Amino acid sequence: MTKAPDQALEAQISAAIVRCAGGDRSALRVIYDLEASRMTGVAMRILRRKDLAEEAVHDAFMRVWRGARGFDPARGMGRPWLFAIVRNRALSILRDEGRFESDDGDAPEPEPDLAVSQLPESSALRRCLEQLEPRRRAAVVLAYVHGLSHGELAGRLGVPLGTAKSWTRRGLISLQECMG
Amino acid sequence: MTQNSGKNTLAAEFVLGLLDAKAQADAERRIATDAVFAREVEQWRTRFAEFDQTADQMAADEGLWQRIEFSTQQAPRPEKSEGVWTTLWNSLTAWRTATAFAAVTAVTLGFVSVASMQFARDVAARKPVYVAILVNDNTKDAGAVVNAFADGRVEMIPLTDINVPDDKALEIWTLWDRSVGPRSVGLIDKSRSIRLNLDALPKTGENQLFEITLEPKTGSPIGRPTGPILFKGTTSRAL
Repeated sequence: MTKAPDQALEAQISAAIVRCAGGDRSALRVIYDLEASRMTGVAMRILRRKDLAEEAVHDAFMRVWRGARGFDPARGMGRPWLFAIVRNRALSILRDEGRFESDDGDAPEPEPDLAVSQLPESSALRRCLEQLEPRRRAAVVLAYVHGLSHGELAGRLGVPLGTAKSWTRRGLISLQECMG
Repeated sequence: MTQNSGKNTLAAEFVLGLLDAKAQADAERRIATDAVFAREVEQWRTRFAEFDQTADQMAADEGLWQRIEFSTQQAPRPEKSEGVWTTLWNSLTAWRTATAFAAVTAVTLGFVSVASMQFARDVAARKPVYVAILVNDNTKDAGAVVNAFADGRVEMIPLTDINVPDDKALEIWTLWDRSVGPRSVGLIDKSRSIRLNLDALPKTGENQLFEITLEPKTGSPIGRPTGPILFKGTTSRAL
């Protein structure tokens, strides 16, 4: 599933997080050089504004620096940990802080199948998502990639809230069965 | 409490960020105490991580790095998160799991009391003991609020956007003793929430002055306020 360069990068990131926990500031810079541009891209898909995306990345690095001791390389991988932090920060800016103007007319509606088509052909996630019923797939992808809430999913998919929740759950259950 | 791993989507919904704020926070805490749940979360993160790699790379420039570096230098190094409460919580959770079938009643009682104490502690932690509203002397506009908590944490939350020139920064000071003078407790490049660093100072009390001044980007060169006072206010006991 993962290619060798990805494994090398994962090892570098995990090691750098551990060094951050020891107070090594240069390790934070290593993470920045390797991943900040991708982290900005992830935040951008959720926030759709460069300044807010950069704020999410800034805050994520603060959390990495302060929270690096909470990372245990024996229990999990460094890169998913890192991207979970920036995603959470972006979601928090999007939802909690109430300063996001969602109705900016320029940005196109997020397209769920675009993100799926960008996954590698060999990806298990891609294969399993493609097996999902399209609306369930859309719900899961829009929630992860673009940070839509249940309410926003309902609006986007034109169904009641309960239906949006149910589609997401069923999508997730099928995905888990497929990916094992 | 047991995991029904085939049908339980809680960990997945947590990873997606779909839970409401309270459930999201509960799940976050549960990671530290429930190894099965933590593993499920980790699996979902890893499954979805491939999506992160499909995001466009957007230039992350030197300016952003400088802001990060600046902020990390201001931030106090973290304490280890395990306080006595976390330890107690962990040990009780482990104990409860181990004896779940043998001593349901005792375990439930133990769980309720710890859970309610945990709740009380969370509420206490969220409610400040002292509050200061920082006001501009001329315009009388409120610029920021300072909250001091029982555990010694002090935070400043801006109430207005403060215009900071590129070569300047906002420095936050506190004065609790005129014979000692003001001490710098934070430096920010723009108006944003910050946890103030009062770790080395006596515990925040009533009528303690907080003020924000405009200073050079790296902070006052002399360790005392040099720029204009933008906002100031003193602490009162929170109701």
